[in-house]
Amino acid sequence: MKTELNKLSPLARRDFIMRTAQTALGVTVMPALNLRAAAAAPGPGYGKAKNVIFLWMNGGMTHIDTWDPKTGETKGPTAPIKGKGGIDYLGGTMTKMAEVSDKITIVRSMSSKTGVHDAGTYIMKTGYEPRGTIVHPCMGAWASHFLGRIKGVTLPDSVIVNSGSAFPGAGFFPPASSPIPIANPQTGLQNIKQTSSELHFKKRVSLMNELDDSFRKKYQSEEVKAYTEFYDETMKLMKSEDLKVFDLAQESADTRAKYGNSSFGQGALLARRLVQSGVRFIEVQFGGWDMHNNIDQALGGTGQTMDSVFATLIQDLAATGLLESTMVVMGSEFGRTPDINQNSGRDHYPLAYSTVFAGGGVKGGFVYGATDKDGRRVADKQATPMDFQATIGHAMGLPVDEVVMSPSNRPFTVGDKGTPLLDIFA
Amino acid sequence: MKKTTKLLSSLIVSLLITGSALAEVRTWTDTSGRQVNATFIGLEGENIILQVADGSTHTFPLTKLSAEDQALAKTLKPAERPVTIDSLVLSGIQRANPERVKSGKKPLTTFNDLANDEQFVRRVYLDIVGRIPNHAEASAFIKDSKPNKRAKLIDLLLDSPGYNSHMYNFVAEMLRVKDRMDGGNNIRGIPYINWLQKQISANVTWDKMVFDMLTATGKMWHNGAAGYLLRDSGMPLDNLANTLAVFLGTDVACAQCHDHPFSDWTQRQFYEMASFFGGTETRYRNQRSKGGEGMQMADVRGKIMPEIEKIVEKNGMDMSRLRNGIEQFINANRYEVNDTGSNATKMPHDYKYPDAAPNSPVAPKLIKWAKDDGDLECYKAGEATAENPRRAFAAWATHPSNPRFAMAVANRMWKRAFGLGISEPTTNIDDPDQSANPELLKFLAEEMKRVRFDLKAFMRIIYNTRAYQAASTTEFVAMGEPYYFQGPLLRRMTAEQTWDSYMTLVLGEPDKYEKPLDDLYGNTIDLDLNNPKLDAQTVLMKYDAFRKMQQKEEALLGGGLAEAGAMEDAKKGRSKSKEPEPDMMMENASLSFGKLVLRRASELEQPAPNGHFLIDFGQSPRNIIDGSSKIGTVPQVLSMMNGQAQQMLTSSDSLIFRTMDKVRTPSERVDAMYLTVLSRRPTMNEKQIAQRAIGGGDDGYANMVWALINTREFIFIQ
Repeated sequence: MKTELNKLSPLARRDFIMRTAQTALGVTVMPALNLRAAAAAPGPGYGKAKNVIFLWMNGGMTHIDTWDPKTGETKGPTAPIKGKGGIDYLGGTMTKMAEVSDKITIVRSMSSKTGVHDAGTYIMKTGYEPRGTIVHPCMGAWASHFLGRIKGVTLPDSVIVNSGSAFPGAGFFPPASSPIPIANPQTGLQNIKQTSSELHFKKRVSLMNELDDSFRKKYQSEEVKAYTEFYDETMKLMKSEDLKVFDLAQESADTRAKYGNSSFGQGALLARRLVQSGVRFIEVQFGGWDMHNNIDQALGGTGQTMDSVFATLIQDLAATGLLESTMVVMGSEFGRTPDINQNSGRDHYPLAYSTVFAGGGVKGGFVYGATDKDGRRVADKQATPMDFQATIGHAMGLPVDEVVMSPSNRPFTVGDKGTPLLDIFA
Repeated sequence: MKKTTKLLSSLIVSLLITGSALAEVRTWTDTSGRQVNATFIGLEGENIILQVADGSTHTFPLTKLSAEDQALAKTLKPAERPVTIDSLVLSGIQRANPERVKSGKKPLTTFNDLANDEQFVRRVYLDIVGRIPNHAEASAFIKDSKPNKRAKLIDLLLDSPGYNSHMYNFVAEMLRVKDRMDGGNNIRGIPYINWLQKQISANVTWDKMVFDMLTATGKMWHNGAAGYLLRDSGMPLDNLANTLAVFLGTDVACAQCHDHPFSDWTQRQFYEMASFFGGTETRYRNQRSKGGEGMQMADVRGKIMPEIEKIVEKNGMDMSRLRNGIEQFINANRYEVNDTGSNATKMPHDYKYPDAAPNSPVAPKLIKWAKDDGDLECYKAGEATAENPRRAFAAWATHPSNPRFAMAVANRMWKRAFGLGISEPTTNIDDPDQSANPELLKFLAEEMKRVRFDLKAFMRIIYNTRAYQAASTTEFVAMGEPYYFQGPLLRRMTAEQTWDSYMTLVLGEPDKYEKPLDDLYGNTIDLDLNNPKLDAQTVLMKYDAFRKMQQKEEALLGGGLAEAGAMEDAKKGRSKSKEPEPDMMMENASLSFGKLVLRRASELEQPAPNGHFLIDFGQSPRNIIDGSSKIGTVPQVLSMMNGQAQQMLTSSDSLIFRTMDKVRTPSERVDAMYLTVLSRRPTMNEKQIAQRAIGGGDDGYANMVWALINTREFIFIQ
C-alpha cells in the first residue's frame, strides 16, 4: 500500500488522503468533483455519456454467432450478413442490428481469464477478479461515488432490471449506492404502495424510530446506519412523482409492441424511460446464452430477441435524441467455443469474445480489434475486462486513474488500472 | 492471565483423552464460607481450576474449598472443550492487542460481557434453529432459574426439527443447491434436495455425506447424492474448482485457465486433479461398442419422436405444442452419473507451459499443501485405481488426515456462530498460520476429527463457549479487518432467518408445516433409456403421467410468486383478513396468505423465485458458493413497510394479536407483544411510548407491531 501511495503525484496523494477520509466516513455518498479541477484532459469521449444502459447477456454470449461470425471450420448455423455503415459482417441472426450498425462500435478483441460463469460475470461487471475478502463495486456505485447522488429526483442512481439481486452492488462503498433490482419490468417496484393513509404511515414511522432509538445508539455499525438510511430514502421515494417512470402503460401500444413482450424487450423499454427520468446507470439482464446444446435452435429464440430489442432500443434513443448522451453497452461473461461440441452447442470460452457499444460519444459503424480466422485467438488490439470497465468509466467522466481506498485500507481504481479504449470514441 | 493460559494448554493433552461433559455453573464455598459462581474446569495435582463469568480461569489449592465441595470436585468430570477453546480465543485476543493499540483502539483484556438471557435466547434460537423463539419459548427460558439452563436449551434446540431446517439452508447455500437446475425445464434438483435434508435429519457425518456425493452414480431420483455432480453437469472443471473451494478450503479456480497468479497452484496441477473425474460422465451416452444395447440419443430423435408425432396427430392433437415438453422429458433422463472406465482428461488445447504438450493425456495426481504431506495416510487412501479414480479422490478428500478437510468445515462452522471465519475467505485457507488465530484454527480442526465429523456435536461445543455466549461486539469492524472473537459479531439475519422468524410470528411453531412428503417429480420422471425396446407408446404414457403429477405438484405448491405476478385476481388465494388455521388445510397442501405460501424457507422452492420476500432479503441465487447478501436494499425496506408479509403480521387476527388477547391489561399486552416480536420485556420508557401509541386509536396495537417489526433491533442478531 505504501508503494502505491508513493507512486502518486503530490496532488494525487492529497486527493487520495481526502478520499480515504470520505470513504471511511462512509454512509453518505458525497460528490468529490472539486478535487478533479487540476487534472489533465483525459482524451476523446470523456464524460459524454451522462447515462448508461448496460445490456447484460447472461450465460456467455456466443461471439461467433453474433458480432464476430466466421465462415471456416468454426462457422455458425447461419451465414454472416453485411451491416449498415460499413460493418463487414454480422451473425446471420442479427438482421435488425444490421439496419442500425452504422450507430455501433463492435469490440471483437475481448479476452478474459476465466471460463466460470460467476467469476466471469464478476470480472466483467467490476473489473476485478472475485476475492473472498472484499466485494468490489459495480460501475453504478463507482459513478455515485465520484459524481454524487443524482440531483432533483428521488429515484436511485442505478437500477438492475430483470434480476432479483443487486450483486455485487455497492461493493465496499456504502450500501446506499447499490443499484435497485427490478425483478419484473412489467410490475416495477414491488410493494411501493402504502398500505395505509399518509398520516397513519407517518405515525408508524415515528413510532418505529422512537422505539429503536436505544438500539441504534448502542450499535453504531455501518450496517445498522445504512439500514436507517435506506428507510429514509425509501420513504422519500414512496411519495415521489418520479414513480410514474415504472408505469410502462404510459407508452403507446405501438412502442410497447416494437420492444416486444419478452422480459428483455420490456426491460429495455423501462431502461429508456429511466434514462429520461435521469437515472444514471441501468443494467438490463437477458438470460439464455449458456448454449451448450443445440445452438441453432437457441439462437432462433434468444438470439433473435436480442437482435430485435437491441435494434429497437438504438432506434428509439436515436429518434428521441437521447443517443448522444446515452451509452448503450452490451457485454457477457465470456464467449463460446469456436468448435461446435457433441451436443451441437458451444461451451464456455474466455479467450476471445466481443462486446458492443453505441451512443454516448462512441463511433458508428466501427470495429475495434479482431480475432484470428476461426475466432480462437485475439489477433489485434486485445482488450481485457479491465479495459472494458475503464472505457465505460471514462465515457461517464469518472477519473479512472484515481486510487480510492476501501474501508479496509486497500487501494482500488475504476477497472483495476485498465486502459480506456479511446479509439472507439468519435 | 497468561499463567492460566499456560497452565491450560498443558492441560489440553490430558483433557483430550477424557470424555466430554458440558460446562455447568454452580456455587462453590470455601473454608471461610465465601462463595463464588463458577464452572469446574478440572483438577491438577492438589489444585482445582474454576472459570468465572468473565471467562477467566483461576487455579488454587483444593484444600481451600469446603469439605463438601472438595468431595464433589473429585467426582466431577472436567468440562474441557469449550473452556480450551475459550483459552485459545483469549490468548488470540491478547496477542492482537499491540496491533489494536496501534490502530487507536483500546486493548481488550477479556471477552465482551456475558449476553443477558434475553439476548441469548433470541440469538441461540436464530443460530441453531434459524428463527426467533415464539412467546412461550422466550418466556420459559427467561423465567427458568436453573444455572445450567443455557446448556440445556442448546441441547434441546440441537435435537429439534428446526436445527435440520436451518442446517439445510446453510448447506444448500454452500453447495448452490437449486430446484430448477441449469440445462432444461424438467431437470429438477428435488431428489437431491430431499437427500440432503434426509442426511441432515439423520445427522449423517460430514465426511460420509461428502464421500457419498463425490462417489454417487446413477440418476438423481435413484440416488439423491448424484445431484452433487449433476448440479454442474457439462461443467466438470467448475465442479472440481467448487469441490476444492468448499470442502478443502482451497481456491484453484484461476488454475483452470493458467497458473494461479497468487498461490502456487499450476494449471497442470488443476488438470491432474480433474483427471480423477476424467472417466466420469454426467450424461447418458449408450456405447454400443462396449456391448450396451440401449437407446442412442440418435434413435430417440430419429425413430421414437417421429412415431410419437404420428400417434399425437392421429389423436387430433397439435404436436408443435407437445414437442418441447416431450423432448425435455426424455432429456431429463439423460442426466445420470456414470463411470466409463476410461479416462478422457487431456491438457487444454491452448496449454502454454513447457512441462506438457497441449491436448496430451493427464494422469490423476493429488495436490499437496506442504512438502511432507505425502506421508499422510490420506495419500495412501487416495492412490488412484484405474477402475474408479473418483473413489480414490473422495477417500483422500474426506480422510481425517487430509490437511484441509476437517479444518475447512471447522472454520465454516465457527463462522456460522461468530459471523466471521478464523481464516477468511473460508473458500481459501491459503496458510493457516496467517489466520486470525492459528492455534484456535488447528485445535478446532482436531476437534472436528475427534467428534468424527459430527457437525451437531461440534456445534454443541462451540455454543457452550464463553466466547459465543458473550454479548455481541458493538464496535465497528471494517470489511477485511481481522477479528479476534471477543464475542459474536452483530449480524443481520439471513434472508431465511428473517422469513422463518416471520413464519414464527404467524404460525407459532413453523416446523409443524412441512412440504408435501411425496417426491412427485422423482416418482414419475424416470424413463429407462437403457431398454432397447423402448417405444413411442411407452414414452407417451409415461409423459402423460408425468404431466399429471406436475400439475398436482403446482397445485400443492400454490405456485411461485413470479408466476402469479400481475395475475393476482386469477388466483384463488384465501381472503386476506382470515388467519390461517390448521383445520383449514387441505391434505398435503399449504397454508397461504395471498400469494405467500406459509412454510419455512427450507420447505419452499430453492432458491425462491425472483420477487419473493426471500430474494428481496438477499437469499443466495445459488450460482456461487455462499452467494447470499445481507446488505439493505430499497425493495427490502419496501417489503418490510408495505409488503404482504407485513400486512399479514399486523392484521388483527394474526397470532401476535391472539397471544395478546390471552391477557387483559394494556400493560400485560405490551409485555406479550415485546416478548413475541423482540424476545424481551419492554423497558419502562418503551412501555410508556407503547401505552401512548395504543391509546391513540383502534389500530394502536397494529401500529406497535408494525413499528417493532420494522426496527433494526428486530432484524439484527445481538
